[in-house]
Formats: sequence, C-alpha cells, structure tokens
Amino acid sequence: MTPLEILSAAITGLPAPRIPIFCNLLDQGARELKMSPEQYFSRGEYVADAQLKMLKRYGHDNVWSLSYVGKEAQLLGCQKILFAKNGVPNVADFVIKSWDDIAKFEIPEDITQHPHWQSMDDCLKILSHEVGSTHPICAYVTASTTMPVLLMGMDKWMELVLTGPADLRDELVKKCSDFFQQQITALRAAGANVIIYSTPFGSPYFIPKKMISDWSMPWMQRDLKDGAAGVVYYCGMAPFNSVIEQVMEQLKVSVFYPSPLDDLAESKRIINTQGLTCGVIDDIKMINWTTEETRAEVKRMIEIGKAGGHFLFGTGVMPMDIPEENIVAMLEAAFEYGRYS
Amino acid sequence: MFESYIEEYNEAVFEIDKEGALDVVESALEKGITPEQVVFNIIIPSIEEMMAVIEKDPDTNLAQHFMTAQIAAEITEKMLAKFTTPPEVIGRVIIGTSYGDLHSLGKRIVIGCLKSMMVEVIDLGVNVKPEDFVDAAVEHDAQVIAVSSMMVHTATGEEGSIRVRALLDERKLADKIKLVVGGAPYRFDHQLYTKAGADNWAADGVTAAKVISQLILEVKT
Repeated sequence: MTPLEILSAAITGLPAPRIPIFCNLLDQGARELKMSPEQYFSRGEYVADAQLKMLKRYGHDNVWSLSYVGKEAQLLGCQKILFAKNGVPNVADFVIKSWDDIAKFEIPEDITQHPHWQSMDDCLKILSHEVGSTHPICAYVTASTTMPVLLMGMDKWMELVLTGPADLRDELVKKCSDFFQQQITALRAAGANVIIYSTPFGSPYFIPKKMISDWSMPWMQRDLKDGAAGVVYYCGMAPFNSVIEQVMEQLKVSVFYPSPLDDLAESKRIINTQGLTCGVIDDIKMINWTTEETRAEVKRMIEIGKAGGHFLFGTGVMPMDIPEENIVAMLEAAFEYGRYS
Repeated sequence: MFESYIEEYNEAVFEIDKEGALDVVESALEKGITPEQVVFNIIIPSIEEMMAVIEKDPDTNLAQHFMTAQIAAEITEKMLAKFTTPPEVIGRVIIGTSYGDLHSLGKRIVIGCLKSMMVEVIDLGVNVKPEDFVDAAVEHDAQVIAVSSMMVHTATGEEGSIRVRALLDERKLADKIKLVVGGAPYRFDHQLYTKAGADNWAADGVTAAKVISQLILEVKT
C-alpha cells in the first residue's frame, strides 16, 4: 500500500500493514539544501526539493507545501518577515496597526494572481507531480478567527475579541473567512490532499467553551462550508479534547491532531472509530531526550493508540535543535511499533 | 467584609465580563471603600485567588488570564491616581521578549498582574538583546529579569536567556538579579528553563507574576 492508501485506511478503518507516520520537517529544509532561510523560502521549487529529499532520507509518509505561516500574512499585505537561522520565521509587519485599519483592510480578489501565491503554487505542482498519487501532501490554512493574529498581533487581537466592539471584530473575521475559502479552494486545486486547519480559537485553552460554541464555531462552519474533506483539526499545539465531540458533530471533521498536552487515551476514546486520532509526540522534549527516551515515548504512544486502528503517529513542528539521531530513532520506533502484521 | 467583593469580582473576570468587574469596584467605592482598600483588599487578593485557581484548574484559559491582568491593571491605575499617599513598591522587574521573538501577549499579561501587585515594571518591548536586559536591570536596580519566548529557537537560542544568564554570571550579578522565563515552549518541557539558564519559570502569565514577586522577595531578604 502507498502512504496515501495507508492514511485512507487508517481514517476509514480498513486493514493496513501499519499506522501512518507523519513527520513535519519544515524549517529543516534550508539546512537540507545548505541555504539561508531567506534564500530557501524565496522559491517554491526549493521547498519542494527539500521536502522530497527529506522524504527519501527519512522514509516517513508526508510532505509539506508550507513555507512558513507568515506567508498567509504576506498574501494579505505584510511587508516584512523576520527570518531566523535556527527557527520559525516571524511576521514583523502588522497589516492592521489600529482598529481604524479594519474598515479599509481588503483581501485580494484572486489570491492565485498574487506574487506570494506563486511560490506555494510552484511547490505544490512539483510535489503533486512527484508524489501526489502516493503520498499525503499537507497544506496549512489558518482559521478566520485566528488569522487576525497574523495581521495585528495576538495581544491586540485578544483585546478586540474580548473587550472590543463585536461588529468590528466580526467585520475582520468575515474578511478572513472569505480569504480562507479562497485559499482552501486554491490549495486543493493545486494538489494539496491534507489540509491542516489551524484554529487555536477553537481550543478551550484559548477561550472558554461557551465562546467557542457561540462565536468560533459559526465562523469555523463558514470557513468549511464547502466540506471538510481532507481537513485536519489542529489548534496550534493547544489542547482541545473537550471540544472534539462538538467539532465532529457541527463541523463534520473526522481527523484530529491534538496537543501533546492532551490525554492521548482520552482523545482516542472520544474519536474512537468515527475518524482518525493523531498521536502527537512532544517534540520539544526530543531536543534533550536520548534516543532510548525517544523510542520509549513512541512505544508508549503507539500502544495507547494503535489498537482498533484509526490512529496516526505524528510530530509537532519539529524544532531544528532536535538531534538527527532522535529523528531517526523516532521514525524507526514508529515503523517498528506501528506494524499491524 | 471584602470577601463578597472578591468573589463577585472574580466571578465577573472569569466570565470575561469586564463591565461586571468594574461595577463591583464602583459599588465598593460608593459604599465608602477607599481606593487603597480597593487595590490592597480586593484587587490584589483577587489576583492571588486567581493564581490559586489557575494552579489547581488546568482548564482555565488564556482569555481569563488576559482579562485578569487587563482589568486589574486598569482598575489599579485608576485607583492609584486617587491614593492619598503613593504606595510602596515591592520591587522592580525588567521584562521583554527574547531576541528574535515578536510575541507580546504573555508579557502583557504578566505586566498587568505585576503592576497591580505594586511591582514596578520596566518594559523593554519585543525582540530585546540580552545585553539590553542586563544593562537595564543594573541601571534601574531591578531584582528580576523576565524573558518571554513563544518559539523554541528564541527560548533556547544563544541570543536569548542563555546569553542573559552568561552576562549575569560574567558581571557577578547572579545573587542580585534573578532570571525568570516563560512562554509556550516551557509548557511542553518543564525542565527547559534550566537549559535556558533561568532561576525559575511559569506556565502562564498570571502565575509568572507570582513567581516574579517571590523572586523579588528572595533577592531583597
């Protein structure tokens, strides 16, 4: 079976030789091609090339079309990204500097004509051509209720959400939801078959559950109005076990990427055979773990999740400081303990 | 006499009801409670109670932490203007995000709580160089440097708190100035703060205020 078929079997509960194994190597791409981050992220071809090289070297199941999250802000007018040689690029220019900017903030009429879309499109075309029929190609899309964080900063957004005028808040979210719908359509059309729906404001770690029901959920429903095929519910590594049932019922999403801070056994119990539970390793700890500790944690997680199928082993965003031997140990253990036959 | 105010106030904060919390204070003032009593007998005990709740209840959320800090800071600022004599400051802290890190929410929560607890805060903003943290701490005679990092590479990188620690050691300031860190990466690895060279850490902004005020007292005694 191909990795794509193994993933599909895990979601539907059909027999497969092993569990799917995702390893999210993003910033490592620049190191792989021996380039500076600025150079590496400047072209979609580079990102695709590094993804394919790392896929070949490590043998995991998925590739990524994502350059960095701030790319979405660039599609919406952000002029400056702060690159780091050893980590994630930051948005360094907020498009919305004051509440007054919200009224004049506009989304592109067609993002596929935007210069910053080009590199994403180039990357997806290559990945699609090379592994589209055999491997999951992941794309990342920020939910409408979270996108303003990239446009104005988390504290300013939190202030508007919690204490500002509701109509102004929702005016911005509506524009972000329109942008989201354009983006998910374009990503699917370009070949992405796994959509990581990043929705921290759908996590009770960020806002109270009542606010998720009353405010976030209707916006998430709007974001995903064209269906949840291939969509993975992810809250930016924040826990969300206590809303899984509601999300399944109201969003019709069936694939969940919980936080390592969630109780994995509880995630599996809730999702059960209705979808796919992703067991996400705490890869920040992997920076300082030994290979034995890494293997032991992989074994522990797979023992919790594997029985009964409907389980995937995955990572967070894999900090660059994780030693190479721990990446290898993690994947070896995942393939070994993740076998069904 | 203050218990019912504390209870009502915290109930409103927990429900993210800013107006409700302000009403509690307004009602207290109308009944003859002084601005000093509002701060020392209602706001500070409320924050302390909130700290205890957060410690016991992992289901509290970022919105509640944010509101705890923002409402407390807003009320304290208003009350301070009405104090008959300026209050005694318990200590001084230098705060900022680590070099390369532009995330300021956690820092803002910590600052709000600290100000209400009568800690003087010198905010260096975001993307702060290690030398600037130490220089500012010396200049302002601060007891604590607080470094906030939302990303792994800024939490553990050579230009973050690790360098602040090295500078404190080089300048033989380790006994006079304590280093505390906070931010998302530390929640995932509770030992990470030691690798980052810090004396202590906190899992959230409200708890950070508690940790910082304890370190201030430690340095001063």
